[in-house]
Amino acid sequence: MSRRILEGKGVAKSFGGLMALRQIDFVLEEGEIVGLIGPNGAGKTTLFNVVSGVYPPDRGELFFDGRLISSLKPYQICRLGIGRTFQIVRPFLKMTCLENILISLIGRGERGKTLEEKKKEAREFLEFVGLRNRENSLAKDLTLIEKKRLEVARALATKPKLLLLDEVLAGLNPSEILQALELIHVIRTQMKITIFWIEHVMGAIMKASDRIIVLDQGEKIKEGKPEEIVSDPRVIEAYLGESNA
Amino acid sequence: MAEFLMYFTNGLVIGVINAISAIGVSLIVGIMRVINFAHGELYIFAGYFSYHLSLTFGLSPILAMPLSVFFIFLIGILMERLLIRPTYGDEMYSLIITFVLSIVLQNSALLIFGPYPNKPPALISGSTQIFGLFHYGNQRLLSFGISIGILLFVFYLIKKTWFGKSVRAISQDREMASLMGIDHWRINMISFGLGAALAGSAGVIIAPIFPVTPTGSSAISLTAFVVVVLGGMGSLKGCVVGGLILGILENLGAAYVSTMYRHIFAFIILILVLVFRPWGLFGQKT
Repeated sequence: MSRRILEGKGVAKSFGGLMALRQIDFVLEEGEIVGLIGPNGAGKTTLFNVVSGVYPPDRGELFFDGRLISSLKPYQICRLGIGRTFQIVRPFLKMTCLENILISLIGRGERGKTLEEKKKEAREFLEFVGLRNRENSLAKDLTLIEKKRLEVARALATKPKLLLLDEVLAGLNPSEILQALELIHVIRTQMKITIFWIEHVMGAIMKASDRIIVLDQGEKIKEGKPEEIVSDPRVIEAYLGESNA
Repeated sequence: MAEFLMYFTNGLVIGVINAISAIGVSLIVGIMRVINFAHGELYIFAGYFSYHLSLTFGLSPILAMPLSVFFIFLIGILMERLLIRPTYGDEMYSLIITFVLSIVLQNSALLIFGPYPNKPPALISGSTQIFGLFHYGNQRLLSFGISIGILLFVFYLIKKTWFGKSVRAISQDREMASLMGIDHWRINMISFGLGAALAGSAGVIIAPIFPVTPTGSSAISLTAFVVVVLGGMGSLKGCVVGGLILGILENLGAAYVSTMYRHIFAFIILILVLVFRPWGLFGQKT
């Protein structure tokens, strides 16, 4: 039995009258890849925002590595070890790739390293995602897939124990998806990072995840192994609408 | 010719001081989306601090100047912590608060320091002949040198250091910077202090040349805002170029048109920029 790295108890969040999350309970074990799926507006990104501290939950508690994090600020949560990428990539556009990574290294708050040492470390992260030759390009000049790679490298540079990936595969072609899956595999096996992952590319997420959590209209409607999910009538209904058969 | 060059040199000296003051405004706007209307008052206070530290308390002007700037830095930190921090997210509140603060500070200055212009002692006396054309006051040359030093320091701080990289990240995307582990509360506080300290530096540098008065503060804030708009929001380079342009134009205008219109030139420039190039010389067109 491995350790619980992230646990949510009765997490709820509403915006005005809209209940984005209703009393969600969930657990991630250390080392897992967990997929988070659901139709548009199910509350997936809201859940990520609550976990990473963009806004606190209205009710419920979140524990990371046994510590209560639901009242912490984003930078504190980041320093504890939760990294995050966004559905719509948001690198610091007016900075070079190298500087983008350096920001994460600064954020980690380690003192006593010289700029050259940090740059060397930053280059390793760029190397890892295959952007070594772009280190001096401004982030705004990158292609979409390069921006996504940069975003992953930036999240990794915060040295997370848990990585939240928000639709990293969206907009990629099949061969790029394969490369991305390869990368995710390496992140998990070599860097030993637990992955919590929102995705709409079903084939990929079903293949790569150990477990899947399904959200619909702010509620967790199903949780289980990928093969259990695809055959569950409630999941099919959530995606395709009620069947009359 | 010699006369023209002298006015031009005056413009350069005032221009770099303008630039320092404007960078103070620009830094705070860029990072915190807060417009500090009390900028001119901080500038004036620094001038008075350096006057009283050196004349009333008998400190050497060389000590009095940095000490005054340090006091203004602390005042800036306090302002951020007590008044600005509760208003984050609502730009209107911070606008009103700094506006009210500027009135309060201006009247405190009248009360504490009195209405008379005060001039701290110069660091050096005498003058130097420049290119064999005209004599120029050593104090002004020294002010110019110190200003250039401060500008270089600020550029180094923003472009090369950890602090500067964090500042740039926050000004581009505050939420993202925070998610990458940057403590934006701390950076905000230090930046506000730094912005105030830059206003203070401009104040202590100019005070031995042009004495400070409590009522002069709004014109100083306005000049800084005009320079920021002219140079382009968020551009350090813009502040320097804008500051120089304004300094030179004001001085040439005052010399060849009329000193009465000195401040009109700033407004003419402001209107022209807003009509023809609202994003400024080096700003980003959005």
